[in-house]
Amino acid sequence: MESLKDASQKLKSSVKNSISLSAGADLFLRFVTRTSHDVTNFEACKEHLMNSGKVLVEKAAAVREKIGDLGVQFIKDDATILIHSYSRVVMLLLQRAAACKKRFKVYVTESRPSCLGIRATKLLCKAGIPATVIYDTAVGYIIDKVDAVFVGAEGVVENGGLINAIGTYQLAVVAKAANKPFYAVIESYKFVRLFPLNQYDLPTHTPDLLTFPDLEHHTDLSEDEIIGNYEAINPSVDYTPPDYITLLCTDLGVLTPSGVSDELIKLYL
Amino acid sequence: MFSHLEITKGANTGLAPKEIHPAILVLGLQFSEFKICGANARCIAALTAFQKVIQDYKTPEGMGNAIRHLKWEISTIDIEMSDDEAKKLLCEKIDNFIRDSITVADRVIVEYGLQKIQDGDVILTYARSSVVQQLLLEAHTKGIKFKVIIIDSRPRLEGKKLLNCLVNAGINCTYAFLHAVGFAMRDVSKVFLGAHAFMSNGALYSRVGTAMVAMMAKEKNIPVIICCETYKFTDKVQLDSFVMNEQGNPNDIVNISTTLAPKPGLLSEWLNKPDLKLLNLLYDLTPSKYITTVITEVGMIPCTSVPVILREYKPMVQ
Repeated sequence: MESLKDASQKLKSSVKNSISLSAGADLFLRFVTRTSHDVTNFEACKEHLMNSGKVLVEKAAAVREKIGDLGVQFIKDDATILIHSYSRVVMLLLQRAAACKKRFKVYVTESRPSCLGIRATKLLCKAGIPATVIYDTAVGYIIDKVDAVFVGAEGVVENGGLINAIGTYQLAVVAKAANKPFYAVIESYKFVRLFPLNQYDLPTHTPDLLTFPDLEHHTDLSEDEIIGNYEAINPSVDYTPPDYITLLCTDLGVLTPSGVSDELIKLYL
Repeated sequence: MFSHLEITKGANTGLAPKEIHPAILVLGLQFSEFKICGANARCIAALTAFQKVIQDYKTPEGMGNAIRHLKWEISTIDIEMSDDEAKKLLCEKIDNFIRDSITVADRVIVEYGLQKIQDGDVILTYARSSVVQQLLLEAHTKGIKFKVIIIDSRPRLEGKKLLNCLVNAGINCTYAFLHAVGFAMRDVSKVFLGAHAFMSNGALYSRVGTAMVAMMAKEKNIPVIICCETYKFTDKVQLDSFVMNEQGNPNDIVNISTTLAPKPGLLSEWLNKPDLKLLNLLYDLTPSKYITTVITEVGMIPCTSVPVILREYKPMVQ
């Protein structure tokens, strides 16, 4: 058990944004603890765990298919969808909807600095779905033309809030102000045992994020150097509180944010 | 030969403890003076007296779970067990309940709560909650550097005890009254509050004034954290502070002294004025939307998950 915990810690610390990783690792550790109570023989236990691990990996792909089937009902014919950055689940969902002969258009936020929105747009156009990239800053401009917002997530926290690429919270606030539904599409193994009180209570928040530069040397720097500096100190994920989320489409069903807590309690009981 | 039988002494109801219901006292008197004779008659009289006690009985708010637990324990006692053994067993069960649901629970809550207190925090609390007091003391012992603002209110002035305790431990404290909470809230980073009971709709039933503090914090987007043991969770639903509450002694409001010596103020003649009534409410209800999180001994949960905890951890004993 100890070596498993150490290994899990090592994994978590090696990857920069380890939230979904930590969710999966915690879940597996929990499963190990539970199994060790049921099975007495160590060899049998080990084999059981190895098999379960393999099954989990295989299931991960199947889980996305299930979510796709559930989420399709939220995309109405002739709708305009807004998505943020690139998420495999959201991509699958949109492709599934197109396969169901629904006609819709997609606005994709550029999602700087990763610019993953561009990759998403390329994939959507390939699948025959009209898609275009909009600036992250143009979300407020476009929101009245949109019917629904879909996002994926790195993790879902205990109160039903989301941790996702930076810009998700902003998008959620704008959607709420414009009275547009905000749907999160996420696999259940990404439910993580965290309860952030606000943005600054996230494990990814370090004191050197968003600090002010040393004024003495700042005037000597070139533009490239400045860009390099501020890119290093800007956050890469943010926390969206549950009040802004309409529904979460998971493989456990379509849940409200408070329903997530219900599932987590049952899972970790 | 009859030495093992108790000799019925003449009953003197004046010596009986005041908590005994008068119906039982009357019954005891009647039995001792043999006014009721015969097994059936005595049994019926006893049961009728118990009925009166049951009718007059009121569960104090928040203690529903504890009382229910006790009644269940009583009901599962083996019939064969002697009275003495049963009493010993019940007392032991009560001790265990206090240990598990209160003492140990508080320690676990403090462990969870410590995760949410960091260096540089300014913590605001209201009146005096024993769990919050323990949490703040433990955080200070662990060396976390934080400040505390204690908001207090009349007539109970419970915050004074908390202030005393924290200052003696060396924590940097500020003390203010409830009317200044809007101003005091400016520099606050977190609010920690205690609970008297937690309703199934996620509403908090706590010392009067708590709702105001929570609303003010929410207005400024400051997280409101409630520290509450699960035994305080109830499956009742309450929508406002009026439908169920407790009134304290109205004369407490008349006393405007800040020291131990009472000093009656302008309201001292209130009994003579037919149109004037004094209302000393003890509790109020904080709606769930003002609460960020609840720390219990089973973990940190959103307040909407109170019925889930009741369902999973405390199934109805049928």
